[in-house]
Amino acid sequence: MKISNFLLSIFLLSVIFVSCTNDDDDVQEPKGAYENGILISGEGGPSGSIYYVSNDFSTTESLIYKKVNNNDLGVYLQSMAFDNENAYIVVDNQNTITVVNRYTFEKVGEITTDLKKPRYMAIAGDKGYVTNWAEGAYGADVDDDYIAVVDLNTFEVTKTISVGNGPERIVANNGKLYVSHKGAYTTNNIITVIDIASETTTEITVKDNPDELFFDNAGNLVVLCEGLTLSYNPDWTANEKTPVSITKISTVSNNIISELIFENGQFPSLLTFDGSYFYYNLGSKIYKVASDASTLPTTEFLDAAATNLYGIEVNDSYLFLLDASFTAQSKLDVYSSNTKEKINSFAAPIGASKVYFN
Amino acid sequence: MKLYNKVLFFGFFLSSLCVYSQKDTIVTLKVVNLQSVKLYKHSKGLKVLDLTDSIIAKNATSFTSLLRFNTPIYIKEYGAGGTSSASFRGTSASNTAVIWNGININSINNGQTEFNSLNISLFDNINVRSGGGSIEFGSGAVGGTIHLNNELGFGAYSKHQVISTVGSYQTFHNLYKYSFGSETTAIKLGAAYNTSKNNYKWLDYNLENENGAYQQRDFNFSIAQKINDFTKISFFSSKYNGVRHFSGQLPNPSAAKEKYKDFSFRNLVNFNYHKKTATHNLKLAYLTQEYRYFADKNKEDYNFGKSKRYLINYDFSYKISSNSSIESFSEFESVDGKTDQIATKNRAQFSQSLIYNQRYKNLASLNAKVRKDFNSEYNVPFVFALGIEIKPLRNTFVRTNGSKNYRVPSYNDLYWPALGNKNLIPESSLQGEIGVGYKNNQFKIDLGAFYIDAKDKIVWTPGGDPDRPGVWTPINIDKVVNKGLEISTTYSINFVKHYIDLNTNYSYTIAKDKKTNDFIPYVPKHLLNSSISYSFKRINFYYQHLFNGKVYTTKDIIDSYAMPSFNIGNFGGSYNLIKNLKKELQFGFKINNVFNKTYQVLPGRPMPNRNINFNINYKF
Repeated sequence: MKISNFLLSIFLLSVIFVSCTNDDDDVQEPKGAYENGILISGEGGPSGSIYYVSNDFSTTESLIYKKVNNNDLGVYLQSMAFDNENAYIVVDNQNTITVVNRYTFEKVGEITTDLKKPRYMAIAGDKGYVTNWAEGAYGADVDDDYIAVVDLNTFEVTKTISVGNGPERIVANNGKLYVSHKGAYTTNNIITVIDIASETTTEITVKDNPDELFFDNAGNLVVLCEGLTLSYNPDWTANEKTPVSITKISTVSNNIISELIFENGQFPSLLTFDGSYFYYNLGSKIYKVASDASTLPTTEFLDAAATNLYGIEVNDSYLFLLDASFTAQSKLDVYSSNTKEKINSFAAPIGASKVYFN
Repeated sequence: MKLYNKVLFFGFFLSSLCVYSQKDTIVTLKVVNLQSVKLYKHSKGLKVLDLTDSIIAKNATSFTSLLRFNTPIYIKEYGAGGTSSASFRGTSASNTAVIWNGININSINNGQTEFNSLNISLFDNINVRSGGGSIEFGSGAVGGTIHLNNELGFGAYSKHQVISTVGSYQTFHNLYKYSFGSETTAIKLGAAYNTSKNNYKWLDYNLENENGAYQQRDFNFSIAQKINDFTKISFFSSKYNGVRHFSGQLPNPSAAKEKYKDFSFRNLVNFNYHKKTATHNLKLAYLTQEYRYFADKNKEDYNFGKSKRYLINYDFSYKISSNSSIESFSEFESVDGKTDQIATKNRAQFSQSLIYNQRYKNLASLNAKVRKDFNSEYNVPFVFALGIEIKPLRNTFVRTNGSKNYRVPSYNDLYWPALGNKNLIPESSLQGEIGVGYKNNQFKIDLGAFYIDAKDKIVWTPGGDPDRPGVWTPINIDKVVNKGLEISTTYSINFVKHYIDLNTNYSYTIAKDKKTNDFIPYVPKHLLNSSISYSFKRINFYYQHLFNGKVYTTKDIIDSYAMPSFNIGNFGGSYNLIKNLKKELQFGFKINNVFNKTYQVLPGRPMPNRNINFNINYKF
């Protein structure tokens, strides 16, 4: 008994010793438990939460922020943004951005002032730019929406840039910010271009309710305009919308280069881009279209058979589809983007809406 | 002293009712508005708790805490003072009906009652009945009913009462009551004004409950006039006006800026004619309710919902023999409801119920009830109930009750633009319970088991309609089975001027979706509350305890989303400086959360730590 204890302690010591020496030699030190995987964010029922799945799909972990920090993020977790070190978790109803180390998920700070209904954040240099819906849908307040400029060294909002109603997505490219105005509580039809250096803004008119933004390989801005519902069917499904389109805009001239217009009755709500192909949905069917295509496909790429398809993401080999539940865990289905086969399926947070690669 | 007399009188009155039903004629002339008596009479096989004014006084600052510490009800409260809803036996909040002087006052808009927008201090007596009651109380009386009663008494008296409470977080509750009785007239008048900043600390987080302030104004008036030995007319009116701010949530309570106002105005005229074996009762009621929701408290704009109800009810009861009686309730109701999203919709309903009461010696009694509703909007199921109580041995009883009950879709369920579903039908449920117990002057125990089989439950579901993916819409979907066990005990000891009272409620509840076998979220498996009170001469001390079991917030029962169980206790006491037949002056205190536990009822909403209030109760 005593001998075995002695042996055990020797063994443990050796492990520590060995691992210590290993650490000293290892230049490829892992940056944290959540490197080399995907992060799934969920808006929340009880609280927004984030799940982790490793790149080889072998390990999964739920509620990683809560696990590391023993705290909740609040409702509703809208989106995340990343710089080299940190992840910025945007929670709209709480007017809060929680900052964590993106690989360890340890909380490093939070921004709780000067945000009002924050939605999305883009990062350029050591600044973060956050779209804010500000006050509600009423009267003069419709136009009080703004971009909050966050100093990423101090995690403080240093100034705001006033923009039109309902700023949603924001992306940065070549010294400029592009903001899609989905319209918050109402509707809008503009893309705002902000010159970061001078903070001057330019508006580009597009179809109604622009949402997702991407840059294609030619450097053009691509936006999904989801259209404004004009009339409902007796069962309250959208019967008619203003035109729905995937619109391509030159970032040089700010002019619209091309538009893929959807037939009436086809109402996509999600769009993603893998570098060469766009993927979008009609109901829970996924369609694939080349970034330089001039027509929309007539047959689907695959049928996700989801109850509530709420998020899609794609990388070189996989298509990630989120089937969201707000009363239980959601589901992440992983499909091969080559064979269209379902590769795997994982539990995802409540109200799962986004997938990020870490 | 008077209070004690009143309790004694009431207890005596009830027992006399049970034993000699013919004696109730004498008493009904004495006290007007016998909602509570009627309730007991129609509750064969069901369990009724009586929250007397002394129990109410110990929790007078919050209806929510009154129910939480004294009844087997689970309360979802969005932070102390925030939105609060009650559920019996694992059913939903819209399956709890609140009854004001015999009239169901659940909101037309959402089918529920908000317990923090009801001021309890002006009610004389509150009954809580577990089990279905759609036959007497209509929609929503599924899990159980909560009865708020005003009472009037003839006699020869004139009494004033002032209660003033000052507590932590700048909480002030004040009320004034005046009651007057002559041989032919009885009047009661009450006014209450409550306000609190409610900015308690969230100790674990170094934050505070921002935007939690509230203000309530309440005014009650009731009058009864005896016209002759057989005829009485009475009038009850209540006006309430409340403003509350909805407090913030973790991690950033400063984000909160919502405000909520609500107004209610309730009026009831009652004509009662009682002669020999027949009683006629005619009720006319007019009730309005309105809420205004301000997404931003600093702005003028708001969303609203309001309703107007007209109700006429004719209740005829006939005593067939000294052991049996039959009653008929005919009711017509017209409701106009609207919100900023829904144009005015009228809903009219006629309902007819019959209740048969039978007693066999002192051994057994039963109620058999049926009701049919004719509604302008949807088919309401035919409902029925049978309750039996048997006293096989001295002091023991066996009770059983079976009933069918319903909950109609609310205006929001039906008409909310883009989301509502006009094809909804009422939820309905079949339920049964059985209990055994022992009762003597000092001790009472009741051990019961219940089973509720509900179908067509209305559930707001994302993508509930396959043609509307991603849209939250209400559908008649769930079949839910609730089952459980309940124990309640009361024990009073009295030795040489020392009085000890001990009350305990425990319930074990399992609620599951019948199709998927998933648990229903927000149903604590274990719920226990207990209170002990000790009085000696002019001194009284009491302690209240609640154990609220773990609550899952998701259907898939995941621990990481669960709310942990908690234990909390309150300690209070009072001293009567003056106590005689004419005057009574009492000083009291209460320490809420005496062990200073941090706990949350709902995610992200810490509840108050230890806090204290002082009160003065002056009767003259």
